[in-house]
Amino acid sequence: MTVDSQGTASAAPQDAPGRAAGKSQTPPSPSGSNEVLQPSRGRRSLPSGLLPYLLVAPALLSMAVLLLYPLIRNVMLSFQQLNRKEFITRETVWIGFDNYTDLLSDSQFWTVVVRSIVFTAVNVALIMAIGTGVGLLLNRLGKKMRLVLSLSLMLAWAMPIIASVTVFRWLFDEQFGVVNWLMRTLGFSGYEQHNWFETGFSTLVIILILLVWGSVPFVALNMYAALTTVGTELYEAAKMDGASGWRTFWSVVFPNLKSFFMITTFLEIIWIFKAFAQVYAMNQGGPDRGSETLPVFAYIEGVGQFHYGVAAAISVLTIVMLIAVMSFYFRLILKQEEEL
Amino acid sequence: MKRKLIAAIGVAGMMVSIAACGSDSDTGKDGAKPSAGGDKSLTVWVMDGSAPDAWMAEVNKAFEAKHPGVKVKVEKQVWNGIQEKVTTALSEDTPPDVLELGNTQTAGYAVTGGLADLSDDKAKLGYDAWNKGMVASNELDGKLYSAPWYAASRVVIYDKAAYKKAGVTPPKTRAEWIAGLKKLKAADPKSQAIYLPGQSWYVLAGLVWDEGSDLAVKDGDKWKGNLSSPEAVAAVNFYKELASYSTAPKDKDEATPQQSTDVVPKGGVASWIGLGWEAGGAIDAMKKAGKTADFGYFPIPGKTADKPGSVFLGGSNLAIAERSQNKELAKEWLALAAGKEHMTTYAKATEGGLLPNQDGAQFKPAAGSFAEAMAASSVSGKVTPVTPGWANVETAPNPIKDFMTKVLKGEDAKAAGEAADKVINERINQQ
Amino acid sequence: MSTTTETPQKLRTRKPLTAGVIAKNLTALVLAVVFVFPVYWMFSSSLKPQHEIMTKDPVFVFTPTFDNYTTATGVDLFWTYVQNSLFVTLGAVLLALLVALAASFAIARMKFKGRKGIVLVVMLAQMAPWEVMVIAMYMISRENDMLNSIPMLTLIYFVMVLPFTIWTLRGFIAAVPVELEEAAQIDGCTRGQAFRKVIFPLLAPGLMSTSLFGFITAWNEFAMVLMLNKDRESQTLTRWLTEFQTAFGSDWGATMAASTLFALPVLIVFLFLQRKAVGGMTAGAVKG
Repeated sequence: MTVDSQGTASAAPQDAPGRAAGKSQTPPSPSGSNEVLQPSRGRRSLPSGLLPYLLVAPALLSMAVLLLYPLIRNVMLSFQQLNRKEFITRETVWIGFDNYTDLLSDSQFWTVVVRSIVFTAVNVALIMAIGTGVGLLLNRLGKKMRLVLSLSLMLAWAMPIIASVTVFRWLFDEQFGVVNWLMRTLGFSGYEQHNWFETGFSTLVIILILLVWGSVPFVALNMYAALTTVGTELYEAAKMDGASGWRTFWSVVFPNLKSFFMITTFLEIIWIFKAFAQVYAMNQGGPDRGSETLPVFAYIEGVGQFHYGVAAAISVLTIVMLIAVMSFYFRLILKQEEEL
Repeated sequence: MKRKLIAAIGVAGMMVSIAACGSDSDTGKDGAKPSAGGDKSLTVWVMDGSAPDAWMAEVNKAFEAKHPGVKVKVEKQVWNGIQEKVTTALSEDTPPDVLELGNTQTAGYAVTGGLADLSDDKAKLGYDAWNKGMVASNELDGKLYSAPWYAASRVVIYDKAAYKKAGVTPPKTRAEWIAGLKKLKAADPKSQAIYLPGQSWYVLAGLVWDEGSDLAVKDGDKWKGNLSSPEAVAAVNFYKELASYSTAPKDKDEATPQQSTDVVPKGGVASWIGLGWEAGGAIDAMKKAGKTADFGYFPIPGKTADKPGSVFLGGSNLAIAERSQNKELAKEWLALAAGKEHMTTYAKATEGGLLPNQDGAQFKPAAGSFAEAMAASSVSGKVTPVTPGWANVETAPNPIKDFMTKVLKGEDAKAAGEAADKVINERINQQ
Repeated sequence: MSTTTETPQKLRTRKPLTAGVIAKNLTALVLAVVFVFPVYWMFSSSLKPQHEIMTKDPVFVFTPTFDNYTTATGVDLFWTYVQNSLFVTLGAVLLALLVALAASFAIARMKFKGRKGIVLVVMLAQMAPWEVMVIAMYMISRENDMLNSIPMLTLIYFVMVLPFTIWTLRGFIAAVPVELEEAAQIDGCTRGQAFRKVIFPLLAPGLMSTSLFGFITAWNEFAMVLMLNKDRESQTLTRWLTEFQTAFGSDWGATMAASTLFALPVLIVFLFLQRKAVGGMTAGAVKG
């Protein structure tokens, strides 16, 4: 893993030497072992004393004030009845675990939880698969085509969320949608006025397309950048051995970029699980509440109905779930820390 | 010279009384929002499109002439997300002093204690002259929390050419209406005899009222949803019949896509149900596209010819924030804006497209205009159930809309109504 | 676009056309079209006259008009929004870079008690549900008289992008060989000088790619600003994007024109930085 970051970081100022050094230090590992870590690099026990604490203090302090404190307040709100009235009169009404018991005994809540988890899993799997594919493709394209494709990816990435949701809603609109027009033009029948948002499932599929479309550029471009740091001779060697593309990927690319995949998947899980604007703006969680994910549920039950206490409780449960899901990730990443 | 002096003394005296007011308020924050030179400003929130600019300027000019040193700051708000915005604003120390609230939402705010109680100011505000039908939404448990401002209702807007071609004249009864739609369809099968999206729930409300019932009814001291009642079932079935002459989406309301600017101007729509500004918007949009609109208007037909169909009297009220630092000034402004003089100019400025809060200020609409049809139907105007919990019912996802979509897609009306009632029951009794 | 133009893979594509080459270029082309289409649609809609935007059959050929841009930029306080957006975004990003640089240097280069804990905290902080914390944040701001405050918003955005910034920069710093630093110190540099003269220049791409992410996040944020800053004078450009959706219908042309203009700075930053930075975003974090 060391190699990749070293390669990128040093690419600008002193390209060739940095790279060469990085490469030569890397023991080729076509066997698939991920022990590419460099003992010679990383932290050294330089004399430190108080200094490190002084250096991390501003970061920790600002996170404590502007992140931890609001989070604690949020947890406190979850034990309150905080409807519009209490909100305006600034009364504090403690109701213990009522918000939680109401939620946990609500079958709707559990439906939404399961839906959110499945939705996130499918989404992230698709994003990672397509993103990796596009990244690999970028690496193998000619200069011009690569420019075209990466420019197109960047444009997609830079588009504001509000605009992208609006455009997607038009594309799939029942009366004026480009997709219906396309289907008609291609000669399919039944698309005179096909309703793409007919069911919760179909709505979720459209949202999924939007999220994949919006997330793939991040994965693909980073994948490509990471790939450029994989020692090319490894690649060549694998080719020489007559390994198929598939085998090359699993034996050379994947082990070398394992932590790239880990981090990116980690980020995508968080981003997709928390995605609100895309899901809500597409169809307000409809039809008949069929496309609500957890953040949308929190908004509709909590903020939309002015039950801020309930919204806070849902958010606390969301965090707990996310941490539970991610705990194995934390362990993996912390383990790497030790190896550094 | 002398007059100026008197005015100055008057202002000074008022300042004192206002300062006293300020210190009464619980927060003890800086009184008002003093700008340079100790002048005061009064903040007024109105919704985009509610008040013609010229009219607003005229009211403020009159107000500022009476209260020298006070500046009125008008801030236009958009409907999108307004409930959250008003809720948070009312919780702040320096809220807007006067704010426009939708009439179906006023009770929801009144109950929170965020609005100033205006019961003692009835005489000053001109309570007695107000239209009784419009007052209802301003009161809760016998107290007055806002002044009615304007109201509007929907009428049927039709393309004269299409009606003429099919040989149809404006109907007076439901039976005639349906017969006309049939003829229109026969005359031009490619067009929609009426554009009626599946979730135009204010239209459905009118049909329910025509059956002599309501969307929710009081049961003891609780409210309950009433969509599974035989009356509501009959109403939604009639809606379904109307909608069968339309190819509009069954799961959208009239605003997505905006029927007035995105649907009607494209052509192929013989009639639709809309508000005054929607008719205006459609006419403008067609002009821009190089077409000319030739619209006629008629009230939504009732079951019998003697009375037009019931319509939702949508509109707005003007309230004062409880935490306002300028309550007395705000009341003065309110009395001025909602008084007869300025309501008369208001009705004129909107050309009768919006009904003023008192009959005495009514504008005589031109023959054949939207306003004429609306004035004719206003005798059957009604509002949604007046209870603080109603605002909760209306918030997305609106159970009434889901109910309509289900029925239009072929579900049993009673079963769909029961499902919707369950949601309404949950929401309507919460505050 | 790449730092690898000289790699052998590249050379391979110059071979005579084979089915494989055609297939892969064709795939790339299709992908490019698919990804760019929504962006193209936004842009082309912004140039269409109002009545040609929503049509049953899409209009591909039309006489472009800049009316929508005139409407979009003619909004009251447009320049105030621009100013606020720039201040908030740049302020948050710069602050985050500064604070993160210190913290990530310590994490990447020093051994101290509690280091692992800090790494965990940074990871956890990335999961913060900002959208729901809006209410708590609102109440805190209300109590402390920080509503409608641009500095407060800047601070919030700063903390929003801080964890990711630390995370990424740490990877970049760790990637700089310690030997370089040591060599500099042997040459008589103090530790601070060694950092400034040796590590910092090597971090340039890392700093850029990190700031890009922070820029996108802060630039696009709207939940917080809509709730906390009600005064129009203290709002940002995200408010502007919703300006054209009124009770009287939505001016889609103006919305799309505004969106196009809104995306522009991100795109410019992107194109400006990408040579060195694209991909650095996680390449730095790849360090794990």
